[in-house]
Amino acid sequence: MAIKSINGCIGCEECIKSCPTDVLRLNPESKKAEILYPEDCQICHLCRMYCPVDAITISPEKTIPVIVSWG
Amino acid sequence: MKKKEEKQQMSRRKFITLAGGAAASLAAMSAIGMPLNWTENNPEIDVNSLDVNKISTDVLVIGSGMAGLFAAVKAHDAGANVLMVSKGRLGASGQTPFAKGIFAFDPEKEDITLDEYVDKVSYSALGTNNKTYTRQTAEHSLARVNELKEWGFFDSSLYNKSFSKPIKQRNIPIQERITITHLIKENERVVGAAGFSIDEQKVIFYEAKSVILCTGAGGFKPNGFPICDLTHDGTIMAYNIGAKVTGKEWNDGHPAKSENAAACYDGWGDMFEQKPSTTSVGIRHDLGVDMNYTAYMNGGTAKMGPPGMGRSENTVKGGPFRPEGLEDQGGPGGPPQGDKEGRRPPRKEGKGAPPGMGGSIVGGSTAGMAIHKSEGLVPINDKCESNIPGLYAAGDALGSYMAGAIYTQIGSSLAGSAVQGGVAGEAAAKYSKKIAPNKISASKLKEIQEEILAPLKREAGYSPAWVTQTLQGIMIPNFIIYIKKENLLKAALAYVEELRDHHLPMLKAANMHELRLAHETKNMIISAEMKLKASIMRTESRCSHYRLDYPEIDNENWQAWLNIFKDEGGTMQFEKQPFNTWPTA
Repeated sequence: MAIKSINGCIGCEECIKSCPTDVLRLNPESKKAEILYPEDCQICHLCRMYCPVDAITISPEKTIPVIVSWG
Repeated sequence: MKKKEEKQQMSRRKFITLAGGAAASLAAMSAIGMPLNWTENNPEIDVNSLDVNKISTDVLVIGSGMAGLFAAVKAHDAGANVLMVSKGRLGASGQTPFAKGIFAFDPEKEDITLDEYVDKVSYSALGTNNKTYTRQTAEHSLARVNELKEWGFFDSSLYNKSFSKPIKQRNIPIQERITITHLIKENERVVGAAGFSIDEQKVIFYEAKSVILCTGAGGFKPNGFPICDLTHDGTIMAYNIGAKVTGKEWNDGHPAKSENAAACYDGWGDMFEQKPSTTSVGIRHDLGVDMNYTAYMNGGTAKMGPPGMGRSENTVKGGPFRPEGLEDQGGPGGPPQGDKEGRRPPRKEGKGAPPGMGGSIVGGSTAGMAIHKSEGLVPINDKCESNIPGLYAAGDALGSYMAGAIYTQIGSSLAGSAVQGGVAGEAAAKYSKKIAPNKISASKLKEIQEEILAPLKREAGYSPAWVTQTLQGIMIPNFIIYIKKENLLKAALAYVEELRDHHLPMLKAANMHELRLAHETKNMIISAEMKLKASIMRTESRCSHYRLDYPEIDNENWQAWLNIFKDEGGTMQFEKQPFNTWPTA
């Protein structure tokens, strides 16, 4: 769903900074970007466009959770 | 860990006591493996160890899109100390990164005068535009576009680099990934703002002589348009300190593809990757709710595109009024295709279909947002000044009615943001020169800090994601916010008031990401209340506001904008402001 994977990250944080909805964060151990909140991805591709090494794969699909009675 | 377990057990005990006789069904739920702690909040951070910072400046610019860029640059150039704060990143948040056309009125090249331009916009806007702001945008647009050219704006599809150039040249400090939640007012004028960092776990207070909101518009985090970071934050925090806001009854009518409706990028084809370019005069009447009306009457999805490309087959009688001579030019969506006069930004060769609009489409991709610049703070003059001394707004955060309540001109929205940012920057700098430094009182600091952190401190509550989803279910259906009728607007209002009174005060957050979502959700709920009440009140149809029960334009009663403000008792109040007047105190 939405942002799918990051392969070949160089840890420059461009994607993290450019994500309007705070989907990505830097993993403190690996020092690479990781997809932490994929449910908030708006599929705008800014992260991919800012990535200097073309590491990000995005799918157009999004699993939109069904409406439930509490949450 | 032990502490957490104890807390969980306690909360469960409390819940079971509350649930009383429901213990049997709880046991049943437990038996089928359902967790009983669904509403518990288990913070991942120690809320009591958060840092608190305080920073002072002359002019605080909130937001870093096109309006924020020019607000910061022009306030600095007018001699003020400026600090820019952004929820995201300079040139990469809000709608700016996706706007690819910018209007430049070049008197030497245009075949109409400025006066004629203003008249044409007013004709299309059915009187809803503020002529002063319509004129101002056109008048200043070329100068702003030339500055952008100098900074390299037209050389890349990614705007962070070109936006950084003038900011770095001037050494304007910028703080990114800061969510501002509060404007602060003392002695009847704005004295600063407050918010938090999503990275550094700290609360930040800004003492400022003046504040410029460049916070953009907002929606209900809808699917298919890149506005999920825009939740009317500026409008609602200004409303909370007594600012007048306007334009909540209007709708932006952008659709999305019915297949993978949430995929903004895919819906817009390659447009997001294009370099920006300029547009010239080309008056239109676009992006109201014509298509929502067609879909409502015919059922299901609708087709769009230029006339003769399958669109006529689902044309229905009635619906929103369209002024003569401004026929449908291909419908909403801003597809930069098929324009013979070159008035849209160029698109790559060989990508035939207009972005996202080749097949079936669905409505609501911008749900919760009005036509650009038709909603936001009410300006009291042509300087982007609000009714709160020291508080300015520019771009989509200002209800300038630059183009009125309908899209009249491709590219004018981005130009309007640049122009208004510049105007507000200069005005705020001038205002700041005559004001002594502001101090925020200790009691105010404490009160606001409590409000900011409350969702992190709740032991139980509702998740912002669920409340948002519920709000979307209430507001986004075509029969609620687009094809309006009094009984359903009132029904939706009852649900929204429930969210406001019972759920908004119990939003929970376990980390800084969720804390941002909690505050965004609060703002969306209040904006929904405003939208429904304003829609109920406006008993006519005009531009992008369509009432099925009042389908005609009512010039006798409604040649007026609708302003919203909070009275001293905290109640939402409404007032009419006749078109082309400034508000009374």
